[in-house]
Amino acid sequence: MSAFYEGLAEIFEVDVKEITPQFDLTSHNWDSLAIISTIALIDECYNKLVDGSVLAQCVFVSDVEALVRLAVAA
Amino acid sequence: MRAATITAITSFLPDAVLSNQALADLYPNWSADKILEKTGVRERRICAPDQTGGDLAEAAAQRLFSAHAVAPDSIDFLMFCTQTPDYILPATACVLHARLGLRGDAGALDYGLGCSGYVYGLALAKGLIESGQATRVLLLTCDTYSKLIHPMDKSVRTLFGDAATATLLEAQASETPRIGPFVFGTDGTGAERLIVQAGGFRQPRTAQTGREIRDESGNVRTGDHLYMDGPSVLSFTLREVPKAVERLLALCNLPLEGFDAFVFHQANAFMLERLRRKLAIPEDKFVVRMADCGNTVSSSIPIALEPLMEGAKTQRIMVIGYGVGFSWAAASVTLH
Repeated sequence: MSAFYEGLAEIFEVDVKEITPQFDLTSHNWDSLAIISTIALIDECYNKLVDGSVLAQCVFVSDVEALVRLAVAA
Repeated sequence: MRAATITAITSFLPDAVLSNQALADLYPNWSADKILEKTGVRERRICAPDQTGGDLAEAAAQRLFSAHAVAPDSIDFLMFCTQTPDYILPATACVLHARLGLRGDAGALDYGLGCSGYVYGLALAKGLIESGQATRVLLLTCDTYSKLIHPMDKSVRTLFGDAATATLLEAQASETPRIGPFVFGTDGTGAERLIVQAGGFRQPRTAQTGREIRDESGNVRTGDHLYMDGPSVLSFTLREVPKAVERLLALCNLPLEGFDAFVFHQANAFMLERLRRKLAIPEDKFVVRMADCGNTVSSSIPIALEPLMEGAKTQRIMVIGYGVGFSWAAASVTLH
């Protein structure tokens, strides 16, 4: 997950140490730009495309990770 | 063979500049540097209130005639790619035909595609030329999206700029085609992901469509303005563009290394860089030319191609347009 976490840290402009499954996206500017960037990050890390509207419903990093696991398993 | 060949490209940008600083002054938390970092755009040109796409296209055409000593009466066919025509009818191409002084037996038509439009135009021009129906085709592009964008919708106002281009395609003797093969694609289920909902005949403008709404990111627009679902457009791009590239390589029977340059629709720097990395295209072959004009829709590919017309070195270039529709098209183009 480290490349993924590094990518998330870049998106939210925080230190990578702050990115944990409990990281609250909604209190860190979880806007259209962040969602777009995360779609691209997931594609880069896992070669999978996730639905933007479903991604937008995620609250914590753990929600995004669950979405990624579903996409990978599909 | 009689091969359709691109022999000249000119661009025309309107005078008014919309800078990142001017946008930053409107949008809290978005500095000029942040806008540049996120979009790759430093400034974009905006047409005047009384200026239309037809005006810009005429200027691009006149610039081509003058710079390349092309006589207007040598043009057999005029095509105008636009989604912002001067009138509902007649076709703006007919109006331009008169303003440019083309021959009475020259054909003229508009066609309404956006980001994919230039590549579709190359295909149509190739068909006209190689079937013997025309020897010289003038392909014009222009979109004035600034007239469709709400001033407080930063999601699109930071990206798009107005511009026009003129491309001259001619029949030349060649052993091999200079334009083509082509790959086309359409997914109309994505129509509402990049759309101006009201103002056509499906949904005329009303007081209701003119009501402002603010989205979750604080962008303001109405049903009469451009709406872009950024995440959906990105997903579409990452899904379809690599497949189109692979199909084109197979049709050309070439590896990626067989191309000298790659000119993709200049949507925004973020999307371009993601595509470049996904396709493993070397940076020095991947053309990015949008910092000073933004996303100019159907003009973005010819604006990026224009500098490649200089010099005499033969180059095989992959062009690919993708976007509103959803619509996409890719082609191999040989210059010189």
